[in-house]
Amino acid sequence: MTSYFVFGTFLVLGAIIIGVLMATHSGKIAPKIRRIPALDSIEEAVGRATEMGRPVHYSPGYGEITTSTAPQTFASFDVLRYVVTLTARYNTQLIVTCKSPQSFPIIQELVRETYLAAGKPDMFHEDTVRFISEAQFAWAAGVLGIFNREKVAANIMLGYFMAESLLFAEGGAQVGAIQVAGTGNLAQTAFFVAACDYTLIGEELYAGGAYLSNDPGKVGNLAGQDVVKFLTIAFIVLGTVLATFESNWLLELTAK
Amino acid sequence: MWLERLQNIDRRVIYTVLLIVLLGPMIKPIGIPLTINKTTYQMYNLIESLNPQSDIVMLAMDYSVAGAADVHPQAVAVAKHLANRGIKMVMVAFVPDGPMLAERVLNILGDRVTYGEDIVNLGYLSGGESAVKKFIDEPATTFPRDHRGNAISSLPIMSNIKTIHDFSLIVDFQTGSPGYQDFLRQLPAGGPLYAAGIVTVSVPNVMPYLDSGQFAALLPGLRGGAEYEVLIGEPGEGAARMDAQSLGHMVIVTFIIVGNVAYFFSKRQEKSGRR
Amino acid sequence: MKRGVPLLIVFVVGFVMLTTYFIKNPTLGQARTLLNNWGVIVTAFSVGLASVNILRIHSARIANRRSGWINSVALILTMFIFIVVGIYSRHNPDNKAAAQLFSNLFDYAYSPFSATMYAMIAFYVASASYRAFRMRSFEATLLLTAALLVMLGNAPIAEQIWDKFPVIGNWLLNVVNTTGQRGIAIGVAIGGFATSLRILLGFDRGHLGYGE
Repeated sequence: MTSYFVFGTFLVLGAIIIGVLMATHSGKIAPKIRRIPALDSIEEAVGRATEMGRPVHYSPGYGEITTSTAPQTFASFDVLRYVVTLTARYNTQLIVTCKSPQSFPIIQELVRETYLAAGKPDMFHEDTVRFISEAQFAWAAGVLGIFNREKVAANIMLGYFMAESLLFAEGGAQVGAIQVAGTGNLAQTAFFVAACDYTLIGEELYAGGAYLSNDPGKVGNLAGQDVVKFLTIAFIVLGTVLATFESNWLLELTAK
Repeated sequence: MWLERLQNIDRRVIYTVLLIVLLGPMIKPIGIPLTINKTTYQMYNLIESLNPQSDIVMLAMDYSVAGAADVHPQAVAVAKHLANRGIKMVMVAFVPDGPMLAERVLNILGDRVTYGEDIVNLGYLSGGESAVKKFIDEPATTFPRDHRGNAISSLPIMSNIKTIHDFSLIVDFQTGSPGYQDFLRQLPAGGPLYAAGIVTVSVPNVMPYLDSGQFAALLPGLRGGAEYEVLIGEPGEGAARMDAQSLGHMVIVTFIIVGNVAYFFSKRQEKSGRR
Repeated sequence: MKRGVPLLIVFVVGFVMLTTYFIKNPTLGQARTLLNNWGVIVTAFSVGLASVNILRIHSARIANRRSGWINSVALILTMFIFIVVGIYSRHNPDNKAAAQLFSNLFDYAYSPFSATMYAMIAFYVASASYRAFRMRSFEATLLLTAALLVMLGNAPIAEQIWDKFPVIGNWLLNVVNTTGQRGIAIGVAIGGFATSLRILLGFDRGHLGYGE
């Protein structure tokens, strides 16, 4: 056993999240999501690409589907589905570039099936979803090449990003693309804020699926996160008060 | 007109100025004095506190060749310090570039260490966090051979390693994933101390971990490497590159100030024009 | 059925991985090792699948003589050279020439190309910060001031001008930044936890496709 406290926390917080999710799913509670301008701007970005007759680029980032970056990759899939639906509605070319060979087949199927569901199966081509390279900077170079050759008009980057974030964001700005970005990797958020038109900060990335689909399960999941956040804040306040009075009780409890 | 131009300087002008300023000190270092930060002292003191008779350090070579300019000087300086003190090192990589970079460190260490006795380059283990977990669980058997193809059983240094607790300290040089989060999640309570050598851009991210004591020490980017070189009395490529980085910062600061001064005066002109 | 089996696999694998994180049990530990190894094998196959995509896209480019087709030739050639030399040198450790060739490819081709891309970030930082950091509002001015102070705090030359730059820069980094980072990091971690739970328990099935 690593720690009873960690295991107990996992069970309690997991139960809270699932409880709120189920309550929302069954209609017992109806949480509302605040406006998130970055997500609203996606339609504007796709619309602009349509007007200009140029493609939309989507990147799900550096993240994998089997590591700790997986939640961000899955959150990105939710937004990607929405972007595919929009490009299908507006008949706009979409280019999705991948770094992760693990997520590549999933993304390929996701895009193909979303086009099919939108009644536009012909919009899916062999080069709609492109695996560039598993090597970080080979991938970055490949994506920058696509920006310049194909003159993308909208660049949407959501997921886990690393050092390539600024290369993509500044590369997109140089070809005049409208840019929407978001990542849970805080070190890269600053670059997105500096170079993109709209940025999702931190956990806003996870709100994408709920916000864009209004699916009760996803909205409930988001509400569950907020309940856990309140509990965490209470825990921090308690810890601070105890530490102020020189009590190590909570610190010792977390090690048990 | 000028104010407008200064607010929209062509990016090629910015790139050219920056390139010239960066190249100058790389060709002929200026030797701008470097003060040592508290964090670097912390790492130095941590390594000074180790016992050459009993302590073994694991060096996780988790940086890519692309980010090596930022992290490699740290790895070299720390390895030199450990070698100078006669402390044994086990190099492991969880990113593909790691073993080749470890070989570069070994080449620099040269005669200071005897391969197989004082140091070993175990090679690369794929699988990200799962690989980190696997090595933490079974450090003695995870690699049947080292990076150079030697059987692990033939290397005297590895006879000292049975569990992860046989390491006193892990210094993880990293540019991304796997990195500190994977190690902090997987290391057992009461296990070896964990210190990180980190790429500059991630420094703001990791400060909370140093503050909370989860990191025993931290070397921040190229500056951390350069400071460490000065501390051990062997200025190397890190210290040489700091001049370029320092001047590069000043160029960026200057361009930002120029843009803002022009912006400020153009706003004032607009206001007085309206009156 | 089309979704039932994958959902069950996701649940079982997730259960084994999670329980072995908390509880030490030899049987579950062995199951975890086995699943980890399978994961590595599946990843290796996915690399193959992705490489096929590269080959198909770029072969079509060459066949149709689309603009920039010569780049596709370079890509395919380089890919094969690395694969052949890499596999050969790995399986023939006694062949020093092959090992040297692989080492040279790494040192003189892969390394400089990667480092060049990484180095470009410095130039992009310069142009992005020049464009973005303007005193357009009070918040923007705060951001600009903090950025300038942290940059100056990290540049030894600025320290020669005024020795308080590092003090202010470090205070911003250690106090102001750390506070904000903690808040956002906790939010990201909770979001990741909730999303993973939704996937492992099968509430989110989007990645498994539309079909029932």
